[in-house]
Amino acid sequence: MIIKQLSIFIENKKGHLALVTNVLRKENIDIRAISVFDTSEFGILRMVVNKPEEAVNALKEAGYTAKVSKVLAIQPEDRPGSLNEIFNILDENNIDIEYIYSFVMRKRDMPFIIFKVRDEERAIDVLKKYHIQLVAEEEIYEEN
Amino acid sequence: MIWSKEETMNREQIEEMQLKRLKETVKRVYEKVPHYKEKFDKMGIRPEDIHNLSDITKLPFTVKDDLRANYPFGLFAVDQNEIVRFHASSGTTGKPTVVAYTKKDMETWSELIARVVTMAGVTDKDTAQVAFGYGLFTGAFGLHQGLERVGAGVIPMSSGNTKKQIMIMKDFKTTTLICTPSYALHMAEVAREEGLDPAKDLYLKWGLFGGEGSSESMRQELNRAWGIFATENYGMSEIIGPGVAGECSALTGMHINEDHFYPEIIDPDTGEVLPPGEKGELVITTITKEALPLIRYRTKDITTLDYEKCDCGRTSVRMSKIQGRTDDMLILGGVNVFPSQIENVLLHVKGIGPHYQIKVFKKGYLDKIEIDVELIDSNLLEYFPQLEALNREIQSELRTVLGIDSKINLVEPRSLARFEGKATRVIDMRKNEKL
Repeated sequence: MIIKQLSIFIENKKGHLALVTNVLRKENIDIRAISVFDTSEFGILRMVVNKPEEAVNALKEAGYTAKVSKVLAIQPEDRPGSLNEIFNILDENNIDIEYIYSFVMRKRDMPFIIFKVRDEERAIDVLKKYHIQLVAEEEIYEEN
Repeated sequence: MIWSKEETMNREQIEEMQLKRLKETVKRVYEKVPHYKEKFDKMGIRPEDIHNLSDITKLPFTVKDDLRANYPFGLFAVDQNEIVRFHASSGTTGKPTVVAYTKKDMETWSELIARVVTMAGVTDKDTAQVAFGYGLFTGAFGLHQGLERVGAGVIPMSSGNTKKQIMIMKDFKTTTLICTPSYALHMAEVAREEGLDPAKDLYLKWGLFGGEGSSESMRQELNRAWGIFATENYGMSEIIGPGVAGECSALTGMHINEDHFYPEIIDPDTGEVLPPGEKGELVITTITKEALPLIRYRTKDITTLDYEKCDCGRTSVRMSKIQGRTDDMLILGGVNVFPSQIENVLLHVKGIGPHYQIKVFKKGYLDKIEIDVELIDSNLLEYFPQLEALNREIQSELRTVLGIDSKINLVEPRSLARFEGKATRVIDMRKNEKL
């Protein structure tokens, strides 16, 4: 339910995404999802990969400021309004979303939604209560 | 331990010795150095006019440009055949300033370094790695000969080749590191990259840093990173090189070797001598140098002098850490700031590394300052607003402490320049615009 995501500090400069991903490529790490939150000068690169611990060690060794963050992944139903319902539920239960992004895995029909909240455990309880489908860690790391 | 008895003379003895030596020096430069004869004559001064130490204010100042104008040997007071060593400053533009030593000057120099390294804790049981660049620069050779005099084992590594430095440090069980503070900082980082904890896996006890000024926070940083007792020493090639002054274990300023250098503090704008304890430009008269005696040399370094007896037992006057240089003070929209003050603020901020780069430029008529710092705390990556908050925290610290408005750029670790010698952390683009 709780997914390990990489958070990496990068400067907003030409070529820096290539440099970071070079490190992962050398370690034969597979990127499942990627997203950047940036200002004009710097950003935090967030990635879901198949081997998060190995990846973060390799990045640190290469000199990056990087860490593993906990995020949640859900699988919304394929119909209009389903995402809206989820956001309403979280809002009504006073759960603030810090950031959100989505990604698709080839073997599945539906995209996953990754999101970050301050209190993961409580968010899980709320989502379960409303029968929102949470995605298990193994499903994300498994071979595509 | 105190190396020589001159370090504990009482004030009366010191002054008596200084006056005798000052008189000799003034007489000698008048007779041997045309530059000084001309200046003295123009001002109507004769060597006989020096009756007491305060008469020194009758004498003209010497500035770095006087050395350049008399390139290479114009200010020497001895013939070239009496010179046994030459050094030169790293003039970034044009001709370097050349300095030289007679046999007796070399003897004096190593004696003074012996005092300084002893003050810092070094004994004949230590193994010292000299990571200053060997060459025309006075730093490496200066420390080298004084360390040998004390009986320490000297490793003349020179600067650079940092991985090898670390290897030698480990294999030779180096106890004493000699280099610029910025290079020491860089070396610690490389050691960690090599998988070593410099504070635990190496044998260092002492760090003797010089060649550039550094702040108290930098000392803390170096002590922590290396697990050492760091001291600072002071000197400049024009005066003799390192060995002018050094810190003892009391860390209450750098003891000036007063029996060889007569210090004054002046107002850099008016040239007036300021009373003890006041902050101003350090002016030094060399009173024993044979080859290159300098009268009232303006060091451009801003400091204060403290004549109180030190807890260590030495009686020599102490100069505070260099608080800036008259020529590196930044004037930002009317506010005067020394880079060392900015460094002090930055080193107190958690989450960023000790390296920084300051850029100053004009936007329209306004002075702007941008500071690059490396983000190293990965915990700040959890939520984006944490980074913005860090940015604001640094800005607000600089505003509160120094009264300047800055732009802070967070950059990736290891992306800022590292220095193997003296650091150049300020780029003032306003200077180029004037050309």
